[in-house]
Amino acid sequence: MKKSSLFFLASITAFTLTSCSGGEKTEEVENTDTVKVEDPKTNPVSETFFQVPSPGEMLTFIKMVGGAKNQKTDFLNPVSNNKNYTDAKSKALNFGIYSCDLSYCSIFNIGSESLKYFGTVKTLGDQIGVSTAINPAILKRLQDNVGSSDSLAVITDDVYFSSFEALEESKQGPTLALVVAGGWLESIFIAVNLAKYEANSPVIERLADQKYTLENLIEFLKKHEADANVAAVKTDFDSLLAEFNKISEKDAETAKVKDGSKSAMLNGGKQLVITEDVYKAIVAKIKTVRNSYTLTK
Amino acid sequence: MKYIVTILFTAIISFSAFSQAGVCGQFHKKYCILEKEKGTKWLYNAQSKSGLFNQGMVSKLRCVIYKGMDYRVSVCCETVLGDKVSYKIYDARTNEMLFDNSTADNTQIFEFQSISTRQLIIEVVVPQGATEKDKHKSENAACVGLLIENKVTDKQGFSQY
Repeated sequence: MKKSSLFFLASITAFTLTSCSGGEKTEEVENTDTVKVEDPKTNPVSETFFQVPSPGEMLTFIKMVGGAKNQKTDFLNPVSNNKNYTDAKSKALNFGIYSCDLSYCSIFNIGSESLKYFGTVKTLGDQIGVSTAINPAILKRLQDNVGSSDSLAVITDDVYFSSFEALEESKQGPTLALVVAGGWLESIFIAVNLAKYEANSPVIERLADQKYTLENLIEFLKKHEADANVAAVKTDFDSLLAEFNKISEKDAETAKVKDGSKSAMLNGGKQLVITEDVYKAIVAKIKTVRNSYTLTK
Repeated sequence: MKYIVTILFTAIISFSAFSQAGVCGQFHKKYCILEKEKGTKWLYNAQSKSGLFNQGMVSKLRCVIYKGMDYRVSVCCETVLGDKVSYKIYDARTNEMLFDNSTADNTQIFEFQSISTRQLIIEVVVPQGATEKDKHKSENAACVGLLIENKVTDKQGFSQY
């Protein structure tokens, strides 16, 4: 008893000290062709946070470029699978996956399915410790707005953001990493189920661009890879990145902003060019990894 | 007795960690200006972040921005020097500096679009100055919020978007 108490205390102390540091310190490793480099004397400490766009951003884009009438749901993770997720890793990953499915049903205005997926998200959310983020008031808002895709999308985004914040504030870093990984993976799984390969298609371009998001996501997972569940997911995502790295690059064209626009134009950067063969290999890998998480074929 | 002390000590440490985490969590939503709430087309971007940082230190946030979208970055800080937070935006791959607010009247808001999808690093230097008193943090620490909003770029010409 004494030993276990000491161990628990030591763990809590170590965790607290880590938390108070404000985040893991990392160094950027991509310092090539530097134009202007920071002076380390004036900037003694750098903390880098790796951010990932929400799944809803990808789905909204798909709807915007021509999929507004889509009502397909056969590729989503069935709510009946919920009972199969009994361990912490499955629960967190599938909370992210179901949250994305909920966003999808909301964005495409599949109202009855939205309510079903909300119930599943709520059940898993209670189990991973974000019950405060998914409360009865949200369900009422959801029920009141069935039929309004814009409102549903806002509400389901709120569910995702609130869950994210609840996990972040309660210092459940590994769980948060798994939730974000599940959500992102499901968003591109849905995208590849809706898209057909066409050179220069905006949706295919956006899928290729997920290479950058995946790189950020892997860096985010790295911060929590001491956790065995996160480490396993990172290994899967590393192998997915290996497929994305087969995408070629060319210099982006330059452009000016429209007259009267308040926005500045950031020129430069690379445009990713994805061939059909590379696309198919990426799609195959996405499906393999995603279905291994949902325990489906 | 030792058992009670152990429990108390553990509870105090756990409470401190929890409180610390909650100090700045929603800072960017409360203190940065949300264009979305003004009824404009800007949408909240999930890559926004707040944090508690020691003054004088540098924080970097690496995010992904897509072509075909307009972005609006707002930086806010609770110190009395809050309107002079220094930030720079770099291309994460090349380290090329794309924007420095010190060359733009220290503006705290920057609207832009990018010709290509890319990873950006937004580097914020937390200014030194008085902060709001708070029992959960030291006086030389400050909350900093980085709000990112996005919207679809207005159509022009024969854009495929």
